[in-house]
Amino acid sequence: MSHSDNAIDVEHLTVSYGPVPALLDISFSVQPGQLVGIIGPNGSGKSTLIKSLLGFVKPDFGAIRLFGKNADQVKGSIAYVPQRGAVDWDFPVTVQDVALMGRYSKTPWYRDLSPTDRELADDALEMVRMSEFKNRQIGQLSGGQQQRVFMARAIAQGGDLLLLDEPFSGVDAATERAILDVLRKSRESGKTTLVVHHDLSTAAEYFDQLILLKQRLFGFGPPEAILQPELLSEVYEGTLRVFANLSSKKEPSPANKDRLPGDSNG
Amino acid sequence: MDKLELTEWHVANAGMIKALIAGSFISIACGIIGCFIVLRRMSFLADAVAHAMLAGVVASYLILRAIFGFQANSIIILLGALFAGLITVTLIGFVTKVSRIKEDAAIGIMYTGIFALGGFFASIKSFSEYIDVDLVGFIAGSVVATSLTDLWMLAIICCLIFAVVIMLYRQLLLTSFDPVMAASIGIPVLAIDYLLTACTSLVVVCGVNIVGVILVVALLITPAATAYLLFDRLHRMIIASAAFGLIGFWSGYFVSMWTGNAPGPSVVVMSTFYFMITLFCAPRYGMIADWLRKRNQVPQELIEDIMGFIIKHGDQVEILDIVGQVSLPGFSARSALQRLEKDGLVKMTGTMVALTPQGQRTAKKLQRAHRLWESYLESTGMSADQVHQTAHVLEHVNDEEAVDYLDHKLGHPLTDPHGAEIPEDFIHIESGEIHLSLLRQGDMAIIEDPGPAGTTMGIQKGMHVEVGPRSDGNHWTALVVETGKNLVLSHSEADKIIVKKR
Repeated sequence: MSHSDNAIDVEHLTVSYGPVPALLDISFSVQPGQLVGIIGPNGSGKSTLIKSLLGFVKPDFGAIRLFGKNADQVKGSIAYVPQRGAVDWDFPVTVQDVALMGRYSKTPWYRDLSPTDRELADDALEMVRMSEFKNRQIGQLSGGQQQRVFMARAIAQGGDLLLLDEPFSGVDAATERAILDVLRKSRESGKTTLVVHHDLSTAAEYFDQLILLKQRLFGFGPPEAILQPELLSEVYEGTLRVFANLSSKKEPSPANKDRLPGDSNG
Repeated sequence: MDKLELTEWHVANAGMIKALIAGSFISIACGIIGCFIVLRRMSFLADAVAHAMLAGVVASYLILRAIFGFQANSIIILLGALFAGLITVTLIGFVTKVSRIKEDAAIGIMYTGIFALGGFFASIKSFSEYIDVDLVGFIAGSVVATSLTDLWMLAIICCLIFAVVIMLYRQLLLTSFDPVMAASIGIPVLAIDYLLTACTSLVVVCGVNIVGVILVVALLITPAATAYLLFDRLHRMIIASAAFGLIGFWSGYFVSMWTGNAPGPSVVVMSTFYFMITLFCAPRYGMIADWLRKRNQVPQELIEDIMGFIIKHGDQVEILDIVGQVSLPGFSARSALQRLEKDGLVKMTGTMVALTPQGQRTAKKLQRAHRLWESYLESTGMSADQVHQTAHVLEHVNDEEAVDYLDHKLGHPLTDPHGAEIPEDFIHIESGEIHLSLLRQGDMAIIEDPGPAGTTMGIQKGMHVEVGPRSDGNHWTALVVETGKNLVLSHSEADKIIVKKR
């Protein structure tokens, strides 16, 4: 199959929680090594798309293929960073415990976590500079630190596909840098990353490609093509006058051009 | 005690020994499972299962009698109770799914409904000869009546719970903490949920023997909640919860022997007592710890007021002056001063306080914020007597960006409305390249980037300038050292010339 080279193939994905579909007829393909942003207004199905890719939400119709395989054949190779609001921060787990969760997928139920697993979790914490907080309960951290712990979990898991739900919301500038650093490093190592993102002003700078969602797929492609005033105002219903000149301001940088889909041979 | 006496003692106290062993098994199992119930917020579900049991018990008596014609034994009754519990859980899920009824209401409907169904059949006269349900014992608990079969059953259940929690610890942890990730790595989340519900039903059914239907939830929740206040890791919480369950049961049981009442209520009273103690005294999440933390915390506002007071009144200030004049209800200025000294912002010698160099900087920043706010408020047309009060509140809004905005908007004023000097923007000036507009009379600077405006005036990168006085309030003047030329710049022109202060 020709498209089995893609990291993600979504075809006609439709998900509903009642009469109104959360996602309707979504089709797109992502090549390996791309850093993709998912944008769209509140309640536009961004998290649902992530959850469908994770296999947590069952689609009513349509198919998802990851690396050319069915979703349940690649379980464990998808790392996930939840939205901050979706986590119970009072849960009795420490920073290290969370990082270790990244190793659960590689450990069968009858076996204990190995010393190697512990090392990998520690390395991941080192990478996001959270080692010194190893024994802290996760509620005793700042918002940015909390986000970094979950990044470490994703790193420790070492999957080929990384899904992040609003990692940049409510974090300080330093953490935003740190997360971006990790994302870019994982792109260099050939991993594919999907990020739910809400800040249009940084979307062009951060991502190779953008998915514009509002139940339906309104656009998929490089940021210059997606961040068009007409397209955005259609999705955001004219609430976005501020961003009207965004696309003209963000000329594709040379670095960006290198990563356009046409240039990389799939 | 010789051997014979010991045996006699055993015989005489057989009931008590059995009750203690049974109670220990049950409270440990409940303590372990209770942790997951607390963390998953399922306590109402445990209550529902407990009530549904009655229907299950009654049904197993009736069905066995009617169909097989023999008296039900405790294992059959346990299975019946379990079955009823699972049916209730399924029905609750069903109602939530097919209608707009939310889960709490669905639980309320189903558990009372099924409990009532059991009560209805148990109280029908013609059935009562088949049914051997001790309704009072069922409602209030009857640990004293434990039989040997019951003990075996409890031991097996306890082992089962141990096995499930130890073997599936990671799965239980992850499905409770992050079900989405659990699903993504292939853990059967739904199956784990059902397993946990089954375990809950098992321990609830056993717990009813000790404390009865109404109090059984306490056996699950109270020790787990107590442990939750004390420990930050799940496995420690589980061990502590089992221990609290055990201690609660033993102390409650002996209290009941001493006072001669039923053990159920006293077990729950003791558990609640331990919980309350923990709630007050827990080292991190307790109320006293919380209160102490809040008391030791000196509000930023008070700290800023004190620093503002010191810098306004010269280098050295009497401690008593500060204590007398700076105050915030509920907090002592003296402990705030101690805090400042600890942070290295002030130095106390005898009765005097002085700012350290670091304190000077912080205080200057605050003074700058305060005086810029005053200038800003005056520019909005606020009356002079209000300006100081409002600025006093607003100076605590001293985020750097906000202050920079005010400074720029006001045209980098030199003095506040009372004529006091506004400290210069030393933070930016120290950081290197700045707009010429930030400089003041007498400052020397090197041009880094003359910008288009500067170029037309004949200045170049690397030239030296000496800043002169502002002319008519909003024009900057500067003498170019190399050419001897005097520049007069508007605010926007001065903004576009980038310099480094020397």
